[in-house]
Amino acid sequence: MTSSATVFNTLPRSVAAAVWRADQLGTVAHATLSSGFDVLDAALPGGGWPCRGLTELLCSQAGVLEWRLLGPALRAQQAGPQGPLVLVAPPWVPHVPGLRSLGIDERRLVWIDARSSAERVWVVEQLLRAHPVGSVLAWLPDVRAVQLRKLQVLAGQAGVEHGPVFVFRDGPAALDASPVPLRVRVRPGPGLMLQVELLKRPGAPLDRVLTLMAEPPGLAGWLPSPRSASSVILPETADVVGRSAVIRSRTVQRPVAH
Amino acid sequence: MWWAALLSSDPARYSALSPTDGTQALALWALQFTPRVALVDEAVVMEVGASLRLFGGARRLAGRVRSEAAPLGVDRIAWAPNSLAALALARAGQPWSAGRLQTLPLASLSAARPHAAALARMGCRTLGALDQLPRPGVARRFGQALLDALDRLFGRAPESHVWITPPERFDARMELMHRVDAAPALLSGARRLLWQMAGWLAARHAGITACTLHWAHDAMRSRGAGEGGQLVLRTAEPTRDVDYLCRLLAEHLDHVQLAAPVGDLRLEAGDTVALPARPASWLPGEAGEGEPLSRALERIAARLGEERVRRPELREDHRPEWMCAWRHALPLDRAAAGVLAPSMHAMPQPGFLRPEPLRLAVRGNRPCYQGELQLLLGPQRLESGWWDGDHTAPAQRLALRDYWLALSEQAGLLWVFQTRLAAEPAWFLHGHFA
Repeated sequence: MTSSATVFNTLPRSVAAAVWRADQLGTVAHATLSSGFDVLDAALPGGGWPCRGLTELLCSQAGVLEWRLLGPALRAQQAGPQGPLVLVAPPWVPHVPGLRSLGIDERRLVWIDARSSAERVWVVEQLLRAHPVGSVLAWLPDVRAVQLRKLQVLAGQAGVEHGPVFVFRDGPAALDASPVPLRVRVRPGPGLMLQVELLKRPGAPLDRVLTLMAEPPGLAGWLPSPRSASSVILPETADVVGRSAVIRSRTVQRPVAH
Repeated sequence: MWWAALLSSDPARYSALSPTDGTQALALWALQFTPRVALVDEAVVMEVGASLRLFGGARRLAGRVRSEAAPLGVDRIAWAPNSLAALALARAGQPWSAGRLQTLPLASLSAARPHAAALARMGCRTLGALDQLPRPGVARRFGQALLDALDRLFGRAPESHVWITPPERFDARMELMHRVDAAPALLSGARRLLWQMAGWLAARHAGITACTLHWAHDAMRSRGAGEGGQLVLRTAEPTRDVDYLCRLLAEHLDHVQLAAPVGDLRLEAGDTVALPARPASWLPGEAGEGEPLSRALERIAARLGEERVRRPELREDHRPEWMCAWRHALPLDRAAAGVLAPSMHAMPQPGFLRPEPLRLAVRGNRPCYQGELQLLLGPQRLESGWWDGDHTAPAQRLALRDYWLALSEQAGLLWVFQTRLAAEPAWFLHGHFA
């Protein structure tokens, strides 16, 4: 380790910058969008959700934690002069007053109600061909690896900038191989927390479960004290590997203006 | 001055394009390259000297004209410094070079055609040989017109043309090569008409927002089939992009069921809007890679149905299921930037709403959904909607509910309500905070 470090230090600066070491986090050349959670940002290459290529989010069931996980990132993106937020086949009807409290501008919201599996994949493909500058959230529970590869190729074309594209799949899909470079498994944790596992990311794998304090922003003033609630229900569940880090979302620490 | 002559070796192919005036339709298409387009005999000639820079040079323009004119039935294109020379070269099927005109046969010049036999008996078989003959003698024997044409051909005299002007309305008809049974197969015919329309639009510096494709059924149709049908194609933004219109048309044609085989197509341009060409740029990124999102949404709406690409519109109502109406998403420009109106709902609202509230089982006075629910916050009383609803079932839209925020181990934060004043109070799941 020491010898390799010294060798590494003697390299010319330009070469050293181009060398990736297997114990480091991968670096990415494209823009990223901060997830709003410090712990998650630190674990994601480039410090946030990638704005090129797909991001695969594996949830135990659809319609349970999507907005809590992505709300801060979407809010940050909607604050800029970016394009619309397109929802492809969400599991339930999007409820606009609730999305507003997340900071999502409903005038930029487009809901595409694609019903069959083939339709959903086709719709996402068409959207990716248009290089959407906004965000795309697609619920593709039964997408096949071949279709996913096609979408990933479309989304990952070099020299193309677009917004983040999130694909939601069912939890059991974690066992299948996937061409998507960033795969994240999310489960509802104890209380209002989310347990996030990075199954696959550019760079060294992450062997611990991140626990994020993610409560819906509209709730900040209403629940007793999330801090005390979390301290009561903190004990780790049996399936947590390694240590877990409890960090509250930045957006929650800030008082929310109503 | 740089001229192109467009010619079809088989005039019957023009007639497939449009039985009445095939060259007129071709001239209309050619107007997108230059306003100087004229008809000479059976050919269309156009002067593109002033447009060469715009289209990236003579070589690139020639390539583009060749590839785009091929679907219209043009297979002979020649380029030359004047129209008669271009036409003569196109007839002979030879490319331009300095001495080439001298060697062309007499028949390639229209004015020399009636005298070709007589000249051949004199031993004069090429245009160069004709030019060598003594001029007074030729003028006495064959008329001054032949000499004038020869002068214009070799560039010694100026030419004059009657330029084609685009008509006010575009309405082109075309007979299909064979009877078409399935609607998607109409696309190949319609593509030719769209190319024509694109030329007409470019000549007028306009784009369309609507056009109508009519089809007429074959004469051998059954009695119930009717005369034909039509399809209106609408775009959110004015366009004259043929590829895009073709893709959009293909999506629409997929839904069409033809009542009888189709023999005739007619394309009529609807509303046109001025669409100036965008200035070209050397800088990368300015041209904008990919197509705009609105076009992708349009295509999606064409395949799935307009009502399935939606945008929300907030309503002032306290009942969650009536808080928001969903409308067609297109056109996108309704998304005016501005300050978001403040929310009128003080209580937390979920991110997802179930289309129909789900009745929950109750175990020991507690509602259950994937396990027992822990009620965190509530009740939020809602009593609204007594004015709403039809007379048959007024109670359906009247909401008498107590909303609670509930936590489930598996399903996260939920929004449940208990009905009030009902015969038997029950718990319902209405929303997911997700």
